[in-house]
Amino acid sequence: MLSRIADSLFWLARYMERAEDTARILDVNYHMLLEESRRQPYRLRWEPLIVMAGEEQRFRQFYAEANATTVIEFLAFRPDNPSSISQCIAKARENARSVRDYISREMWEDINGLYHALNRFGPAEEVGAGPHRFCNLVRFGVHRFHGVTDGTLPHDDGWQFLRAGGFLERAEMTARLVDAQYQNLLVPPGVGAPDNHQWMAVLRSVGAYEAYHRQYHSPIEPERVAEMLILHPLHPRSIRFSVTEVQAGLRAVSGTGAGSYANEAERLTGKVLEGLRYDTIEEIFKRGLHPYLHDLLRSCRLIGEDIARTYFFYAVVA
Amino acid sequence: MPSAPPEAAVYGLFEGYALDGFYDEMFSAPGKPRPHYAKIFSKLRAMAPSQFEERRQLADVAFLLQGITFTVYSEGEGSGTERLFPFDLIPRVLPHTEWDRIERGLAQRVAALNLFLQDVYGQQRIFKEGRIARSLVYSCQHFRREMIGVQVQRGIHTHISGIDLVRDSRTGEFLVLEDNVRTPSGISYVLENRLVMTRCFPELFQTYEVLPVNHYPAELCKILSSISPRPGEVPQMALLTPGVHNSAYFEHCFLAQQMGIELVEGRDLIVDGDMVYMKTIRGLTRVDVIYRRVDDEFLDPLVFRPESLLGVPGLMGAYRAGNVTLVNAVGNGVVDDKAIYAHVPDFIRYYLGEEPMLRNVDTYVCARPGDLKYVLEHLPELVVKAVGESGGYGMLMGPAADRATIEEFRRRIEAQPRNYIAQPVIGLSRVPSYHPATGRVAGRHVDLRPYCLYDGDRVIVVPGGLTRVALQPGSLVVNSSQGGGSKDTWVLRGGD
Repeated sequence: MLSRIADSLFWLARYMERAEDTARILDVNYHMLLEESRRQPYRLRWEPLIVMAGEEQRFRQFYAEANATTVIEFLAFRPDNPSSISQCIAKARENARSVRDYISREMWEDINGLYHALNRFGPAEEVGAGPHRFCNLVRFGVHRFHGVTDGTLPHDDGWQFLRAGGFLERAEMTARLVDAQYQNLLVPPGVGAPDNHQWMAVLRSVGAYEAYHRQYHSPIEPERVAEMLILHPLHPRSIRFSVTEVQAGLRAVSGTGAGSYANEAERLTGKVLEGLRYDTIEEIFKRGLHPYLHDLLRSCRLIGEDIARTYFFYAVVA
Repeated sequence: MPSAPPEAAVYGLFEGYALDGFYDEMFSAPGKPRPHYAKIFSKLRAMAPSQFEERRQLADVAFLLQGITFTVYSEGEGSGTERLFPFDLIPRVLPHTEWDRIERGLAQRVAALNLFLQDVYGQQRIFKEGRIARSLVYSCQHFRREMIGVQVQRGIHTHISGIDLVRDSRTGEFLVLEDNVRTPSGISYVLENRLVMTRCFPELFQTYEVLPVNHYPAELCKILSSISPRPGEVPQMALLTPGVHNSAYFEHCFLAQQMGIELVEGRDLIVDGDMVYMKTIRGLTRVDVIYRRVDDEFLDPLVFRPESLLGVPGLMGAYRAGNVTLVNAVGNGVVDDKAIYAHVPDFIRYYLGEEPMLRNVDTYVCARPGDLKYVLEHLPELVVKAVGESGGYGMLMGPAADRATIEEFRRRIEAQPRNYIAQPVIGLSRVPSYHPATGRVAGRHVDLRPYCLYDGDRVIVVPGGLTRVALQPGSLVVNSSQGGGSKDTWVLRGGD
């Protein structure tokens, strides 16, 4: 398979995942924040959404204040925010276009159809009506894309690159989601400490609210939520699950068996995964959740770079 | 205005339909369909415009989903908007007997063009025997000195040709308007148009026997695999595209996918030791045959345009060393030159000893003093074309042009007569086409681009080809950049 195609598939999956995750976060939080006490300052209510997207700096270039209008515009539509949902879908489509000969016709038609459907939305209407319809379309659009992909594309190297890219992005997004909310939790009481609602929103935005209750049979506690999102072996949006999938994808490409590695990306993935398997949430909190997630995000970034170096942009010795 | 006889009075879609003195592909006289169009006409006549409109929207959605769009950029708009390449649902139908003659004429022409290219870049018999001036050929913009003496695989230069035909309204005869043997595009529209047409008007196909077109990719693939420089081994084939921003990118994907060959960009390829390789996730893989959709001058920055990023440094070296086959061959643009076009009937006589079955449009070559004088005296009646251009660029439509434009062309022609030819205005035939603004059908001018494949022994012509239609009322320009669209083109099986 051509390096360029592998690269495009990897990023196609990343952009789709980022669009979905952002849509989930925006949708859930928007509706929760509507119910929230208005005594909380805007900053506390809306800022974490920008942090989750990892786009605080860029946001501040455009807006003085994070509120319902600016956050929706920024996260959902803004063409000059490369992480906005509409930009993610547009770039996913561009990547799909550049590998149209490789992917199935149905995959292309599906992603192209989603792109055109989203283009019919505009910020003005959405801010008024709430982002639910838009976000729902994205969410189910991406689900459908996964379904069409799994059902029509041979599960060969290309499919593995889609898998690795999508789950690497998901691991990062979940890490940022937990991190942003956790920092929020540390705000001293009196300023308007966040309550369980926010953690409920976190669970909802990864679709784990019901699963949490089945698992813990207890009221919502921040530590248990973090445990579920970081360490759960089977929840499809937990970091551990996601990194396991990245590893499986990379190993399928290189043909490496358990307990060894063929390249730097695989070594690092294995190392991160060992931690996720054997660390307890108590240990993680003792070490500090923020530094822990910070390291994890750094590892994810390095894994992405190593994948690119190994498969996409390796030096050719002529 | 004379009143039409009652049986010719038509309502619904055809209300107010007029022939306006042009050859109409559907009607021999007002309200009188030609035999091969009779069933289509009666079907359409029975349809309410709203029903037709429904089918049309069905087609539009299909094209939009497929992403068969081209991007239009306008001032102050960074991203550009995507437009559909308009598709008109009323097919262009050719009876078998008529097609049979066209097909034989095309086969003859393609064979002669290939022999001419072999000769020009080989023994140059035609110059030595004084049948055409060497200077005329060597001065073609797309003549490639680098190709002289290069032995191409199996002697094939024109693997793929798109020969543009028009029907002259005065005589009803098909004439050759131009030859495209560099990288003709549009075949994907032929195949997609047919697919969409069968979905939108399935019932029409039940009443006609239409020759299929979808064997094209398989035939092309067969040719590509027969010209590998490593016979006996499974050939590695690739289609080289300029990339996603090229207006024909859809077609490049489409063909690569249909043939099951790799779609590559210049940056995917690397030349080492006169061999071409592609970069894969498992290292370098040798490439044997490249169907390139990149023009000659962008193929190799070491030989042609040094600033080109679309090509591959060293590709020409590998090609000349015979380690990779390029399709079409390099240097074919000589034939596309409109001053050379005028000589093609002579090539047919010279190389094949046959009379051309398809005639050229009468052409005045300004490089000839007698022709030049005539052209300069008759500019307002003529179509003037720059010899090296295509796609409707660098053209003067005498009857439609104002004085200043005509004078501007006069200056240009006088300065560089070699660069121009002129032809009389051909009243192109028309086909009824739907006009969305009025919800009615009106006659619109069409041309026809059949696609020919040459395997070294035989010319395979896809039945029909691409009918391009000038959708603007009165327009004779069928190019998509000028508001042109396309139609499904049917060749009927014998007997119809």
